[in-house]
Amino acid sequence: MGTFLLLFLVFFPFLSAYFVYPLRRRGREYRNLYIRVIPGVELMAAVLLLAFPGTAVLSQVCGMGLRFEAGSLHTMLAVLSAFLWLMTALPCKEYFADREGVNRYYCSWLMTLGALMGVFLAADLFTLFVFFEIMSFASYVWVAQNENPGALRAGQTYLAVAVFGGMMLLVGLLMLHHLLGSLIFERMPGLVAALRKDQYGELFAAGLFCLVGFGAKAGMYPLHIWLPKAHPVAPAPASALLSGILTKSGIFGILVTSRYLFFSSADWNMVILVSGTITMVLGAVLALFSINLKRTLACSSMSQIGFVLVGVAMQGYLGAENALAAWGTVLHMLNHGLIKLVLFVSAGVVYLGTHSLNLNDIRGWGRNKPMLKTVFFIGAAAIAGVPGTSGYISKTLLHESIVEYIHELEHLGISAAGFQTVEWLFLISGGLTAAYMTKLFAAIFLERRAEKQKFNAREYMAPATQVTVGLTAFLLLALGLTPWASMQTIAESSSIFLRAGEHHGRIQYFSWINLQGALISLAIGAAIYVLLVRTVFRKKTADGAAYPDLWPEKLDLEDLVYRPVVKGLAFVGALCARVSAGIGDFLVLAGEKLLYLKAPGVFVPKKNENFGVYARKPKRFLIGETFAFDLTLAGVGLIGALTYIIFQ
Amino acid sequence: MLLIPILLPVVGGVFVFRQKDEKTRNRMVLWLTAATAAAALVLCVLPERSMKLMTIEGTLQLALQSDSLAKFFMVLIAAIWLPVAMFARTYLRHAGREQQFQGFYTMTLGALMGLALADNFVTLYMFFEMMSLLTVPLVLHSGTPAARRAGLKYLGYSVFGAGMALAGYFFLSHFLLNQSFSGGGALNLQLAEEHRPLLLCVFFVMMVGFGAKAGMMPMQAWLPTAHPVAPAPASAVLSGVITKGGVLAMIRVTYYLFGPEFLQGSWAQYALLILALCTVFTGSMLALKEKVLKKRLAYSTVSQVSYVLFGLLLLTPGGVRGALLQMVFHALAKDALFMAAGAIIIATNFTLVDQLVGIGKRMPRTMVCFSAAALSIIGIPPMSGFISKWYLASAALNFESRVIGYLGVAMLILSALMTAGYLLPIVVRGFFPGKDVLVERREVGPQMTAPMMLLGAAVLLFGLFPNGLQVWISTLLPQIF
Repeated sequence: MGTFLLLFLVFFPFLSAYFVYPLRRRGREYRNLYIRVIPGVELMAAVLLLAFPGTAVLSQVCGMGLRFEAGSLHTMLAVLSAFLWLMTALPCKEYFADREGVNRYYCSWLMTLGALMGVFLAADLFTLFVFFEIMSFASYVWVAQNENPGALRAGQTYLAVAVFGGMMLLVGLLMLHHLLGSLIFERMPGLVAALRKDQYGELFAAGLFCLVGFGAKAGMYPLHIWLPKAHPVAPAPASALLSGILTKSGIFGILVTSRYLFFSSADWNMVILVSGTITMVLGAVLALFSINLKRTLACSSMSQIGFVLVGVAMQGYLGAENALAAWGTVLHMLNHGLIKLVLFVSAGVVYLGTHSLNLNDIRGWGRNKPMLKTVFFIGAAAIAGVPGTSGYISKTLLHESIVEYIHELEHLGISAAGFQTVEWLFLISGGLTAAYMTKLFAAIFLERRAEKQKFNAREYMAPATQVTVGLTAFLLLALGLTPWASMQTIAESSSIFLRAGEHHGRIQYFSWINLQGALISLAIGAAIYVLLVRTVFRKKTADGAAYPDLWPEKLDLEDLVYRPVVKGLAFVGALCARVSAGIGDFLVLAGEKLLYLKAPGVFVPKKNENFGVYARKPKRFLIGETFAFDLTLAGVGLIGALTYIIFQ
Repeated sequence: MLLIPILLPVVGGVFVFRQKDEKTRNRMVLWLTAATAAAALVLCVLPERSMKLMTIEGTLQLALQSDSLAKFFMVLIAAIWLPVAMFARTYLRHAGREQQFQGFYTMTLGALMGLALADNFVTLYMFFEMMSLLTVPLVLHSGTPAARRAGLKYLGYSVFGAGMALAGYFFLSHFLLNQSFSGGGALNLQLAEEHRPLLLCVFFVMMVGFGAKAGMMPMQAWLPTAHPVAPAPASAVLSGVITKGGVLAMIRVTYYLFGPEFLQGSWAQYALLILALCTVFTGSMLALKEKVLKKRLAYSTVSQVSYVLFGLLLLTPGGVRGALLQMVFHALAKDALFMAAGAIIIATNFTLVDQLVGIGKRMPRTMVCFSAAALSIIGIPPMSGFISKWYLASAALNFESRVIGYLGVAMLILSALMTAGYLLPIVVRGFFPGKDVLVERREVGPQMTAPMMLLGAAVLLFGLFPNGLQVWISTLLPQIF
């Protein structure tokens, strides 16, 4: 049963994607029903997987064979993705009501679901890679779906990063396969332990290649460039998935490499910690500057991925006592998926109402829309880590793990300055999160209404969309208020996969010391909002307020560095290639010129150098002259031969 | 029995020339190709056999045999030849002078079968030259000055290359135990060790000579000249099969005359490996900068066939496995790509890449095949190209020289990135042209799309289930090591 379920979960969406086009020809209603039923079935199968864990092996398929397994983190992520797919299916009908070419979106949407299931249920890195690549290519359609210049350019970036990441990942896997001989998760720790000392460098290099590949998908600095570009241009349900769950596939890969290859390697943890911290801070800063609703949310995703990466690094640092870090990581992945679902779908509702995402255009649109206001508030509170929401729990756990390690270091008498910095950056990023979410919330729901907005307050949100955001927002609160029963259970079962240690004793989530962290963060957030956002990022005008775009347009890693570098490299490469490819042609040309021009009596018709004929000259001249020329050539040959013989 | 797949198309081709009625002629070509393919399949099932045709002088003989490598190649050739023949039927109606093309096309199949079945170098050389001569008319089919020049360039490079190989053989033949090919090498090792430097030079010269056909540097220049001017079916077989003829000759020289044991670790092996890697890079780089679609595909062939050569020259079982897989998968994918390019020319007259904006909406079926083949050429799972590249890169990492191994992997990946750079934009802009580009749907007929889709499906299916092919290659490997 478990085996069947695994294969069903992975391959059923691929099969069902095939029927989207035929069904559309039958009628739009059939298709709209279909795309709701399929994720529903998928979710049921994923939930059933909780009861029937198992493994599935398709030996020899794709050369190396595909392996799947269920249980622990695999099942959690599978259920989460199926849930997100179902939830994003609900608002699709309204969102795409007046769009064309939606079938290809649905097609790729279902294929991505299958590929994502393949990634999360994979039992070895090879299987993970195969589905990772399918996922990257299938989800390209989401980014380019709207086909406006911005979308096409973002798609270009997305595809380039995806292809580059995929190839780097491939290098990493090839090296790992060469070193270890097997890519099955369970066997890897043993094989790593059996490696010789001098092979460690190679293993580390392989790990770095994998990190680049996975990090590119996760939105890790410095490969985050696609994230803030792709999310705003993709349709809202797709953005929710891109940021909510597709980035998690990268995180999943990083988790696998971190926990199964470099469980307690200090170098590796340092790499993850540094890149995670940069991602966390940079994402938050970018989000604060942004004046585009979806771009803010995208940068926020990047920042949250940074939080998760810090958790990943802390798991490594804490060694056997890493239960809290592992729980925090897993739960923050889960929370972020749900939160971003609420926020992006809400952003889709705003976009449908205003046809804009610019804060200056959508300002005040949310007034007198209580439902939207409530769910957006819950989402914003959860991502900022306000106590009572699920985000608080996961952030507290992550924070707690940093504090724990600082204590450990202090106990050992080692300077913990580096980690104290990380802790403060963690809290400040949390504060920035609160500040930019407040900025969004205030702009959309509290400001005076911008001009030129349509008043369609009554039916601004379809019932199906209400179900999506309402249910998910409810989940966020429910999880946040019952952390022991719900979240801890999930975390405990999921962190088995992360080879986490056990934690004894009840955690006081709402104790003063834990609340303190959240309150410091929120206080920083309030301070930033009042002191910075209200004064610098918001300008008072006659009819309310304006949000100027303060981020210098030229300061863009992609335009500033990546594109020029790629262009330059292509130029140099092409120069080398042309020179080396020209050698053969040059020799032929030289030979031709020598034979045709120097030989007397040869008449070469223009435009047809290959059919040289002898001109009509008196025969004896011709023979004489050509004979002399031939003699010269023969003489040159003889001299060459003689030189060779002499110097031999 | 061994003569059937050779004589059938060669003799049949003569009748194809004479047949004026289009329908009968088309049927004749298809039946001849199918019958040859059937004969080749029968030979594959039967145990190995050999036959002597005639003795020229002393030990110089013309002889045929059907060893497992020959069988492998015959199936590959037949599998490509049939769909392309189906495709050519409609394509040629637009190109004109069908009789000539189809006649030569059919006869070339015979030469290729002969090449696969050859038992010694003389026979191989004979069929090699025959193949070159018979394919020249396919290249200069249109008869324009550019085409004639391209045809002659192609002929010049091929004949010159084969001449180099023949010259090498004059030296080599003294050191052979017997003249016929034998797996693992036919060298008299004792005698050969004394003249190692000379023989390595000979090996290098012979490989570079045959490398001309396989598009290896420094004699790759004919490919990008010949492909754009030749009709699409001709480009398809040139790229997919004829270049593999060069590869076959190189396999025969390396593994059946010299033998891997003699060559392992020699300077010639390393020099050729580096040449192959340079070709991989150069081909991809030039393809990236190329604006004419068919020329771009030709450069891509230059690069991709050198993957095969790289695998072969590693002289390890893993390398050969990867090389043979790559050869098959590249043939399938590249033929699909060239057919798609041909279909685009028929439907729209577009030859430049920049013109192909929105082509996916105009010709969805063609472009779906194109996309599948393009992904395979880049090496994206689950397409078949990924499998072969995985094995090639694994073999490179297991290679004794770490420098060459890592260099090889780096080149393969770099080339894959560039391949993505020159193929994906076509697909992407074909399907996502932007809102302001309006195109009407105008697909070519099923006679052209069907063979394309056949190959496109094969590209995917072999990627998912490469098992059968791998088993076949595994049985072949012990015979040459």
